[in-house]
Amino acid sequence: MSAAQAMTPEEVKAAADRIAAAGDSRPRLARDPVNWPTIRTWLEAIGGAAGTVADADTVLADTVPADTVPADTVPADTVPADTVPAETAPPAMIQVWTMPGLHGSRESDDPLGAMMALMNEAGYPAVIATNCDQTYLREVRVGEQLAVSARLLEVTGPKRTALGEGWFVTTRSTWTANGEPVATMDFRVLKYRPARGERSAAPAAQPVMRSMISADTAFFWEGTAAGELRVQACERCGARRHPPGPRCPACGAMATGSYVVAAGTGEVYSYVVHHHPPVPGKKLPIVIALVELPEGVRMTGELLGVAPERVRIGLPVRADFTRIDDDLALPAWRAGAQATLPPRVIDVTPTFVVASALATRDYQDVHHDRDRAIASGAKDIFLNILTTTGLVQQYVTAWAGPGQSVKAISIRLGAPCQAGDTLTLTGEVTSAVGTAAEGTAEDSERVIAVTGRCGLGDHVTATVRLADSRIPGGPEGGKG
Amino acid sequence: MPVISNEPVAAVAGIGATEFSKESGRSELRLAVEAITAALDDAGLAATDVDGLVTFTMDSSAEIAVARELGLDELRFFSQIGYGGGAACATVAHAAMAVATGTADVVVCYRALNERSGRRFGQVAAALSGMPTTSGIDNGWHYPMGLATPAAMVAMIARRYMHVYGATSEDFGRVTVAARRHAAANPAAWFYQRPVTLEEHQQSRWIAEPLRLLDCCQESDGAVAIVVTSVARARGLRWRPAVIAAAAQGSGPGQFIMTSYYRDDMAALPEIGVVARQLWRQAGLDPADVRTAILYDHFTPYVLLQLEELGFCARGEACDFIADGAIELGGRLPLNTHGGQLGEAYIHGMNGIAEAVRQVRGTSVNQVPGDGPVVVTAGTGVPTSGLILS
Repeated sequence: MSAAQAMTPEEVKAAADRIAAAGDSRPRLARDPVNWPTIRTWLEAIGGAAGTVADADTVLADTVPADTVPADTVPADTVPADTVPAETAPPAMIQVWTMPGLHGSRESDDPLGAMMALMNEAGYPAVIATNCDQTYLREVRVGEQLAVSARLLEVTGPKRTALGEGWFVTTRSTWTANGEPVATMDFRVLKYRPARGERSAAPAAQPVMRSMISADTAFFWEGTAAGELRVQACERCGARRHPPGPRCPACGAMATGSYVVAAGTGEVYSYVVHHHPPVPGKKLPIVIALVELPEGVRMTGELLGVAPERVRIGLPVRADFTRIDDDLALPAWRAGAQATLPPRVIDVTPTFVVASALATRDYQDVHHDRDRAIASGAKDIFLNILTTTGLVQQYVTAWAGPGQSVKAISIRLGAPCQAGDTLTLTGEVTSAVGTAAEGTAEDSERVIAVTGRCGLGDHVTATVRLADSRIPGGPEGGKG
Repeated sequence: MPVISNEPVAAVAGIGATEFSKESGRSELRLAVEAITAALDDAGLAATDVDGLVTFTMDSSAEIAVARELGLDELRFFSQIGYGGGAACATVAHAAMAVATGTADVVVCYRALNERSGRRFGQVAAALSGMPTTSGIDNGWHYPMGLATPAAMVAMIARRYMHVYGATSEDFGRVTVAARRHAAANPAAWFYQRPVTLEEHQQSRWIAEPLRLLDCCQESDGAVAIVVTSVARARGLRWRPAVIAAAAQGSGPGQFIMTSYYRDDMAALPEIGVVARQLWRQAGLDPADVRTAILYDHFTPYVLLQLEELGFCARGEACDFIADGAIELGGRLPLNTHGGQLGEAYIHGMNGIAEAVRQVRGTSVNQVPGDGPVVVTAGTGVPTSGLILS
């Protein structure tokens, strides 16, 4: 059965252009001012933040099944009960205030609503959120009356995805208080036509470049396959060398196969951001770094997880490995972690899914109605994106403690996290990444990379920007 | 190198080329034969005078195939030089050695390629990482990691150079602006009458940061041939001989093909330094004597590094050296007066040798006044070569 192409891509783009041309929607007022009961309900459901209010008995999110968690990784400092009302709202709640509510509907000039209708008409009925990038210009105080407006930022497609053919639709929402912008959110969804019968339309196996391996270099590749970086070290004179060879250039001894296992750390000595032409097996742009190791050699590898504009010479990195298959693993690099956050394990019960969806004022049926969730292709109800954003924010702020402000959260969504699953949040401080900009405003920033894994894989990968002082009020305190 | 001493014995007597295009519509062998025929006509020699042929290992037309087409009964000297564009000036160096030793009398150096319409070097050649050779093993340290194009490999060194010496993308762009200005006056150039501004350079898209599209040479179809014979014989031919005052090859410490990332000083091209020291010594010259230079310009940053390695300026000072139009016609040291590979065509450096010959003859469309010697270099970032013609 072939889905009739209701609209051509050109027609879709033309219609999208008309929606984009309308610009920002009229500001829509939040139903209620920012208020303590709603914050408290949110904290109760999402939980986990030190110094904010949560009753230990009701922090569902911290219900940890003892049999699944290594004892030394459980954060021991369960949040103390605190009933003192907060004066400001958790930043990740920004969207909560302006959710339409149970009986609400989208405004006629809402660009996302218009795009959804357009995509339904064009034959792309299913939707999945893929990215959510929130930037907080200042904290939002209890009592403030917020308003939101949105505009269509970008529409790209049609693209073949693992889920089926679809379009990526990005909108930008801006929240204001008395006309002053307080936060923005770039929200991207994939509207797609589910690839039901054509599961075989999975992405074709990408050709991958392999390394030619000789008797002189085999030890290195055996090392990467075993998860270690091996640096050739002359048995006679100790000289280290990479790439390796059969004879020590320092003393002339023939190689005996001796090596040292590198600590797995280093600094970027130089790097390339490759944009063009296509590279087999890579989604461009990619960063390839030449890393200087403390062992005294240099080594190339793809630098993963760092935005190209944040790479700089001198960036501390640590080794990682990209497994190509059973035989070949390539050395790769990630931004060096200054600190690791203790993992947080969340038992995703149906109650948690429902409570957090309602606490974020998200009444979409797939988050509370199992039958509707299954009809949508899931196995059970699953977490909504406002909750995921909240979990990431609370995970970082609980660890960071008071005096630390979240400036931005950038969320990339992966596998759905369904009721019955377990979500494990892990995080690393990659502060060096955050100091790449010249401006002093960025110097005090820390960047926390957060990953949330569930049974189906990575549910969320996120970057959280933390400032070590309170965000100055007003636009003059914002980005330069 | 004793055979090429202060008393030059070999000269370029003829140059020839096909048109430079993006789709020749002909075989590479045919392009080679056309260019060789043109070069022999230019010299005033017949095909039957040729007893030696030299080309690149990368050339697809073997000497014997060319000999068959030219109707050569005997071939006494044949040689292929490796390392991509680094072979360009070395073809002439080998020819000069053959002539100097009496091994051959008339040697033709040629390079023919449908590089744009056929195999494009700028694309990822995944198979290079799987060759069962030392080169394949070398490539295995870079290709699978995604560092798999010449631009990306050069970008790694360019980034380090910028970091160490404070060079900017605009500095690289000045090389392009000069080349395109020269090409704009050269009817044989692909970019004839199409100069670019520094602003256009800055607006061109990223290929491999810090390299933009306009930092990368073009891709071309075409062929060039160079006829080398003894100075004595050349004097009796059509043109004033372009005497080979010096010819050298060079490879540096820790040498790799495009990825010499493991040397102490990565912001340098020591292989060109090896060539430069030989050139100055053989010719008994120094940089101040040079009238104009043809510096291999597959990627703009390497023109800056070559100026430093050749001694036209101190290390790290090329950005200052090229400022204010110094490398444009009328400047202190006009570079790549044919438009270079950025502007004329990418014939793997062989078109640059032809331009150096024209400068010696006084027939360049962008003739630099004076009678000083002309320096030519070959592909950089690889084992390379160079010439001084006078």
